[in-house]
Amino acid sequence: MKEFAGCPSSKTVDFREKGTQEEVPAAKVQSQLRQWPIQLHLVSPTAPYYQGADVLLTADCVAYALGNYHADYLKGKSLAIACPKLDEGQNIYVEKIKSWFDDAKINTLTVLIMQVPCCMGLVQLAKQAIESSKRKVPLKAVVVGLKGEILSEDWI
Amino acid sequence: MESYLNTPIKEIISKFPKVGEILEAYEIGCVPCAVGSCLLKDIIQVHNLSEEEEKEVMVRIAKVVYPDRVIPIPKVQRKARIRSKEIKYSPPTKKLVDEHVLIKRWIALIPQLLERLDVDSPEDREILFNGIDFIRSYADKFHHAKEEDILFKYFDESLDIVKAMLEDHTKGRGHVKALAEALDKRDRKGIIEHLNAYRELLTEHIKKEDEILYPWMDRNLSVTQVGELFSKFSEVDEVSGNGITERCRTFVIEVEEKLEKPKKEVRS
Repeated sequence: MKEFAGCPSSKTVDFREKGTQEEVPAAKVQSQLRQWPIQLHLVSPTAPYYQGADVLLTADCVAYALGNYHADYLKGKSLAIACPKLDEGQNIYVEKIKSWFDDAKINTLTVLIMQVPCCMGLVQLAKQAIESSKRKVPLKAVVVGLKGEILSEDWI
Repeated sequence: MESYLNTPIKEIISKFPKVGEILEAYEIGCVPCAVGSCLLKDIIQVHNLSEEEEKEVMVRIAKVVYPDRVIPIPKVQRKARIRSKEIKYSPPTKKLVDEHVLIKRWIALIPQLLERLDVDSPEDREILFNGIDFIRSYADKFHHAKEEDILFKYFDESLDIVKAMLEDHTKGRGHVKALAEALDKRDRKGIIEHLNAYRELLTEHIKKEDEILYPWMDRNLSVTQVGELFSKFSEVDEVSGNGITERCRTFVIEVEEKLEKPKKEVRS
């Protein structure tokens, strides 16, 4: 069979065996979500839960790959989710992120993305927003591997 | 071996000088440190050695301390490890590292300035007056105050690593006071002594902060604390920093040009 040569974001990878080998948590995992809505097109950037908050901008696929997403990243933070590959109207995303910096005066922004190249677009949107904003805040990028491992975690 | 982990490093080095050489091989500069009260376990922790390096260094130290016995090597507990030796600062500590750059530019000019120093020359006296203003306004009031009033408050200030930095700040202030007095008396020897001492102290101090203190602090700060620090530093920059920075940058550029000019004239 011909080797896959398309976009890595849609390459078929099967790691079912890994799923059965890993231990599952004994207790029920508590959700750390503390707001609604969460999709970036639906949220208001000046909603009360964004004011002065540590905000997490998560690529759609991350929460499915990262086993401890709620406890390790979402806990104590406000959230928005987006897909930089499939979502339309990304200029609106840039404006909303900029409004987090300037209007909601958020404390930090952490962008969680998958390792596939197109996901880097979400970090680029955040960088574009911060470059055009009056107020600067620390921006962090976390890259998650397909099997849920943290590949890098860097302040930008 | 456990008991040595809780012993100040100077005590260990004075008893076993070879330990100092071992630490230097791992770029841990405890031998020239003026304080040396850090515990061995803290030194292993703050330098963020890889697991292999930590084991190696502990085995080598154990061989020096207990040459006739095989000693079980205890593991040093730490909060987090980074994957590589490459230093990536958080945005607030990056601000401090960037401020070091301007301080290092002034420090780099000192040997050349002292070489040609004429205490009766109005030009040289003006450079020294402005140099003292640079140290007091920029390096101390602006930069060190950010550390002492903001950054260090996020940590236990009784930790030896923090105490060592504060002691460096105090010593620096002492040299600058003595330098100002010597300049007032046109005491060339005193000026040279204290400006050189300040240069040596700050060179070592900045290296310790850039390579050890700030990376260790970054590993221990939460995301929320990084945001708070950045915001507090930005506030200081806006209220007083930008004016001081501009004045001090202009001073450094002018001295660089003055000291560079005669060189160029000689070359041509």
